[in-house]
Amino acid sequence: MTRLALAALLALAAAANAVAQLLDFSDAELRAILHHGPWPAPWSPDPSNRVSGSPEAIAFGEHLFFEPRLSPSGKVLCATCHAPFRAWQDARARAFGLAEAERNTQSLFNVRHNRWFGWDGAGDTLWAQSIRPILEAREMGGSQAEAAVLVRGDPELACRFRRTFGEPPPAADEDVLAGIGKALAAFQETIVSGRSPFDDFRDALSRNDFSSMKKYPEAAQRGLRIFVGRGNCSACHFGPAFSNGEFHDTGVPFFVRGGVDPGRHGGVKKLRANVFNLLGAHNDDRSGSSAVKTRQVALEHRNFGEFKVPSLRNVAQTAPYMHNGSLATLADVVRHYSGINADRLHSDGESLLKPLRLSAGEAADLVAFLESLTEIASVLPPRRPGPACR
Amino acid sequence: MEERRDTFRRHARRALSAAFAGAAIAGVAQACELPPGTRVESQRLALSYRTIPRQIAVGEQFVLEFSACAKAGTALPGGVKLDAYMPEHRHGMNYRASVNPMGGGRFRSEGWLFHMPGRWELIFDLGGERLTHSVRIE
Repeated sequence: MTRLALAALLALAAAANAVAQLLDFSDAELRAILHHGPWPAPWSPDPSNRVSGSPEAIAFGEHLFFEPRLSPSGKVLCATCHAPFRAWQDARARAFGLAEAERNTQSLFNVRHNRWFGWDGAGDTLWAQSIRPILEAREMGGSQAEAAVLVRGDPELACRFRRTFGEPPPAADEDVLAGIGKALAAFQETIVSGRSPFDDFRDALSRNDFSSMKKYPEAAQRGLRIFVGRGNCSACHFGPAFSNGEFHDTGVPFFVRGGVDPGRHGGVKKLRANVFNLLGAHNDDRSGSSAVKTRQVALEHRNFGEFKVPSLRNVAQTAPYMHNGSLATLADVVRHYSGINADRLHSDGESLLKPLRLSAGEAADLVAFLESLTEIASVLPPRRPGPACR
Repeated sequence: MEERRDTFRRHARRALSAAFAGAAIAGVAQACELPPGTRVESQRLALSYRTIPRQIAVGEQFVLEFSACAKAGTALPGGVKLDAYMPEHRHGMNYRASVNPMGGGRFRSEGWLFHMPGRWELIFDLGGERLTHSVRIE
């Protein structure tokens, strides 16, 4: 009995020592880790969208999100590519609506925290970005006029529009389309991920709660140390959403069928040409402060081949990876950064990315950390069709 | 008596010279007086800036307000440009900061956003003369 108790005590002590050694993060590491929370991050409604956060708009937007008639084909809806049961993406390398596109579908989890939308940031608001696939030939293949006719002519949609905006669908097609985008955005703003094992660890760290910290697997802790330290991953995957919201060249080829994908360079050009951008008449923010980023964004040669830094929350659920979906697993992504070809990166660009040369164990640890960003439980309400609008 | 008068004249002359020198110094100081803030200087120019919000956060837009003057009390050189650069990463901001003169050597600049943690160098180009100041953000 005594021997058993002693063995148990020794085992406990050994376990405690093992964790205590791993928890010996430096001050710089601790500060970097704490920057990745708290979660959920605070959020306030989008000032450029007067119905952001409105229950009527959320309900209307949800209805539109699952509305196949927004595509004149009647075959493609927003949820075709952003499937709720696939972490709001499609698990394909490249999006496929009416035809295959050139880029991977991004998950909608926490999309409300973005500054720019899409891999190239051609959208400066979630509502403007929500309009894009409706008009894109390879996605939903619709037009401004067709979308407006649908909303004006369908009693249910017209009623929801009126309830959301306090007026019937206007005569100008462009105004109706802006309304559709704003309602879709209001719904997507509700798609947030729940807390992850990392969040519990991070919060325990912030309050020196050692017993809670010990619940976080050792491999994930070692991976976290690489993430905020030698790997320098948190320089771009910064903050509670694990993205600085900007654009970088990460050495992923940008050749596509028949040419190249210009990435952010093309995105800035599209942004400036878009009538739905924040400098246009559809911006509801009369203060003008929301439009500063659009007015001041720079178009640089180095933007060519840059793509947006994606959030890493729930990343284990959103394979395949990178802007072209060329990497199938998280292990592949880690391998990419571990052996990145620095010569491939722009010579006048950043000198941040260097091959990490991770051992197999270190690569596995980094994957374990990334997997620990998966929500423990969904915080989204179950989807139920609402009552008909009268 | 005459000697006392000379001594008085000498003292008066000295006092007057000191007063003139003081006035000259005060004149320069007055011409290049800057409001409180982070002070940056070159040989000829001085400026004082502050950011709104005061604490710069990674990935958050901020406004920069600054006042500048020529130390000699002369007019500020024309053509004010602002920028920022990350020397370790060899890149600047993804935004081009605006510069709006507010009068009296004061300026307001919008469009600032530091998208990565680390050391950033603020660059104030006043008529071709560069004044720089490093800040580290986390």
